[in-house]
Amino acid sequence: MRRAPWKTPVAVVLTAVMLFPIYWMVNVSLTNRASIRRGDLIPIDFTLDHYGVVLSQQLPYLATSVIIGIGTVLLTLAIAAPAAFGLAKLPFPGGRTLSFILIVAQMVPAVVMSLGFYSIYNRIGLLNTVPGLILADSTIAVPFAVMLLTAFMAGIPRELIEAAEIDGASTWRVFSAIVVPISRNSMITASLFAFLWSWSDFLFASTLNREGGLLRPITMGIYNYIGAQNQEWGPMMATAVVASIPAAVLLVVAQKYVSAGVTAGAVKD
Amino acid sequence: MTKSPGRRVSAGVALAACMALAACTTPQPAAPSASGEATKGTTTADIKFWDPYPQRTDGSDWDKLVKACAPQGSTITRTSAPQSDLFNQLTTAVKEGNAPDIVVLDNPMMPEAVSSGLVATAKQANIDTTGVDANLMGPGIVNGEAYGVPFGSNALGLYYNVDLLKKAGVDPASITSWDALNAAIGKVAAAGGKGITFSGVTGEEGVFQFLPWFWGAGANLNDISSDQSVSAGQLISDWIGKGWAPKSAVTDNQSAAWDLFLTGKYGFAENGSWFASAAAQAKFKIGVLAIPSKAGGVAPVPTGGEFAVAPVQAKDADNHYANAAAVIKCLTDGDAAMKTNETLGYLSAKADVRAAQVKANPVWEPWVKSVEGAQGRTTELGAKYVEVSSQLSEAIQGALNAAGDANAVKSAFAAAAGK
Amino acid sequence: MTTPVSSAETGHSPSAVTQRPRRRRSPKWVAIAFVAPLLVYLLVLYAYPLVENVTMSLHRFDRGSFVRGGAPFVGLDIYREVVSDPRFWRVVSQTATFTVVSILFQYVIGLALAVFFHGGQFRLSAALRGMFLVPWLLPVIVSGTVWQWMMNPDSGVLNSFLGVFGIDPVWWLNADNALMSVTIANIWLGIPFNLVILYSGLQNVPTDLYEAASLDGASSWQQFWRITMPLLRPVSVITVLLGLVYTLKVVDIIWIMTTGAGSSQTLATWSYGMAFGKGASTVIRYSQASAVGTILLLVALAFGVVYLVMQRRRED
Repeated sequence: MRRAPWKTPVAVVLTAVMLFPIYWMVNVSLTNRASIRRGDLIPIDFTLDHYGVVLSQQLPYLATSVIIGIGTVLLTLAIAAPAAFGLAKLPFPGGRTLSFILIVAQMVPAVVMSLGFYSIYNRIGLLNTVPGLILADSTIAVPFAVMLLTAFMAGIPRELIEAAEIDGASTWRVFSAIVVPISRNSMITASLFAFLWSWSDFLFASTLNREGGLLRPITMGIYNYIGAQNQEWGPMMATAVVASIPAAVLLVVAQKYVSAGVTAGAVKD
Repeated sequence: MTKSPGRRVSAGVALAACMALAACTTPQPAAPSASGEATKGTTTADIKFWDPYPQRTDGSDWDKLVKACAPQGSTITRTSAPQSDLFNQLTTAVKEGNAPDIVVLDNPMMPEAVSSGLVATAKQANIDTTGVDANLMGPGIVNGEAYGVPFGSNALGLYYNVDLLKKAGVDPASITSWDALNAAIGKVAAAGGKGITFSGVTGEEGVFQFLPWFWGAGANLNDISSDQSVSAGQLISDWIGKGWAPKSAVTDNQSAAWDLFLTGKYGFAENGSWFASAAAQAKFKIGVLAIPSKAGGVAPVPTGGEFAVAPVQAKDADNHYANAAAVIKCLTDGDAAMKTNETLGYLSAKADVRAAQVKANPVWEPWVKSVEGAQGRTTELGAKYVEVSSQLSEAIQGALNAAGDANAVKSAFAAAAGK
Repeated sequence: MTTPVSSAETGHSPSAVTQRPRRRRSPKWVAIAFVAPLLVYLLVLYAYPLVENVTMSLHRFDRGSFVRGGAPFVGLDIYREVVSDPRFWRVVSQTATFTVVSILFQYVIGLALAVFFHGGQFRLSAALRGMFLVPWLLPVIVSGTVWQWMMNPDSGVLNSFLGVFGIDPVWWLNADNALMSVTIANIWLGIPFNLVILYSGLQNVPTDLYEAASLDGASSWQQFWRITMPLLRPVSVITVLLGLVYTLKVVDIIWIMTTGAGSSQTLATWSYGMAFGKGASTVIRYSQASAVGTILLLVALAFGVVYLVMQRRRED
């Protein structure tokens, strides 16, 4: 790869422009309420109070969000990976129809889904539970994950699989011992999307986990600062900052895998 | 190639089947019964309490007060959500048969809640409504029957920045009509300050803020395109046009409008009594006036505050209503009324408790007249208010966007009423 | 993709002949077993809400009949009312503008950034690329509010910035400009998604193609158009399609900035407002909300069909 060191300052500028709203968020999180609407570029009326409030109130919600995020990732992969393998490599009848249905599934507005889920959950007792929310959040990611993994797995050379079958491996073994390890990159990518989408989900959390007390995700915890006539923007922004840190770290670390994994198989299309 | 027409046919059949299924499926016949008597039931171990104060988190004064009201042997679980969310959640909960025991509902939602079969009568839930002021009880009385009881009320007033007004040479006591108010704002603007903040956001909140001007001009909710109504719209539109009010009023809610006022640059803020104690602790001196009417005098403000109600229950209604009776009694009986209102930052709905509040805390003094003169939004229109409110909201948005253009304001109101 | 086992296969060829019938040991039922969890999942979690939604749009509901049942079946009346509502076509055109402009800019900017990060190594490239994704992490209530403040006509940063160049302050969030403002915020939100996918698409274009082309004297611009774009096509198509589907559904960012007022009302926000009694209309209109939601779904479906037809045509 050619080196292009001139790109570094340009990239920094571009990133700064892109992230300016985030700078604004940090700015507000460090400003006293009275000065928040002034529009100062730097937090002149500086305070760390908001962070104090957040750290004393929001940590349980953050922990719940992490648990839900991980749960969503596991559930999504558990459903999507075998299905993708079946669609890509096994003679599943009606594969095209299923692909079409997957695209359609992503078009259903979340509002429609959440109202439907409420009735179901109420009847089977999944309301206000973490597993229930994990199930709901996974619906955001599963169709996309299936599409992504199918595209990748379609690109796995047939010979690799045949060789294993010749050696007497069952289909399940082929899947678990060969296909899954090879698909590592795209599975990590799918996991990233699933985690991020469940991390920022608000609609499902507010419809299905209202009464969960401390076992609610951070998107609901933020609503503690939105009262009927009074909203506290400082703590809200501080919560957003604190909530973004683990996810940001995750992103930067996972970048490496994501770039290699997203569409390795799609070029074959 | 032979596959494709076949597949399209099958997709078409699937879609048609889906639609047919939908058409033939009768919606779930949910019929939570409105029967049940509190006096016939006993309190249960778990009591669910819903209110629209999410900012009052676990461990806050209000939270502790509510939970302390649990009857012997019971515990209260309290959840909060913003008001329209709360109403929708109540609707789904009643439909699915797992409604909470007590809900605190915004007063203009009462007639619709009643007509949708969501709440039980005060009699059924054994809720005591004696001593409550008539104007505050009004929204909760539908067809002569009382549903629930209000703890107290908040009211809208005109906060002002004492120093800015002094600097501009304005005497707050002289602001008793629209002309006087406009003159005062003009003087403040000339002296280098900005004018007035208020909330014009879409929805009930913006309408709530507009009503003192609307009623102050002599308009009536039965006809929102009347000349009086348009003149109220023109008033706020001119403020935007002259730069006396921030353009963000179009999207600001009351809290955002308050934040702007707190920057100290604005002379006036139309906002509610819930900020009264915050105002007393602000960095600059803040005074309060009653909102003036057009011709002169105090404008009627809409009744604020919420009603504590017992939702309709599908099963064990007697016990659930008994829960409601116990908790509401605990929050509103005798001395408890004062504590509840002080914790919420409201003025009590009962005159005697109100007087005691004012005596104990002079911050409430300027608000008493407004609360006593407050008008219910739904008292005349009942459940039809919701439709009128959304029309008025569109008119307000149109007026604010017009920024002073008189023709645009007039047509905005006409269009909104025509819809 | 090179196949590392090709030599192994030739080594096994005698036994491969006897093993070929054995490959049929992956019968259909195994395939179905692998896909079954997905099928059950789709049926329970997608089909049911969808049917509920369509059901609602065929009956006349209000809050009371929602609670108590007994809403009358009215066939396609609700759809007729919705389509003949004076606002309908305006909302449709606003939705179209919002969607097309968002996707266009998200794609172009995402592609430009992907190309920028891809061509040539430079320090911090991985970290900066990761940071570009941070907007994704923020709860939309936060990013929406921040944009709303930045676009404040009186004291917002955006107008101050324009003022530096002598441009008059813009009233970003009034009825007329609202569409433009929410589109800008939405573009900002969508760039990370496009960047990630297009960047990895670029990574899979073999570099020797570029080397061969530059040996032949092709300029970078020509290389881009003749090599990169065509090879990026399958990825681009999927990105645009998914972007389309997601953008049609967008509610949060618009809602937080303007509650769908003025020109920023799209089919999705209209449906949301009517379903929950929020925004300008505190009246709940369940049936109309479901009808608009179904119309939205049909529009997205149309695009899905277009995609499939395009796929099919390329394969034929």
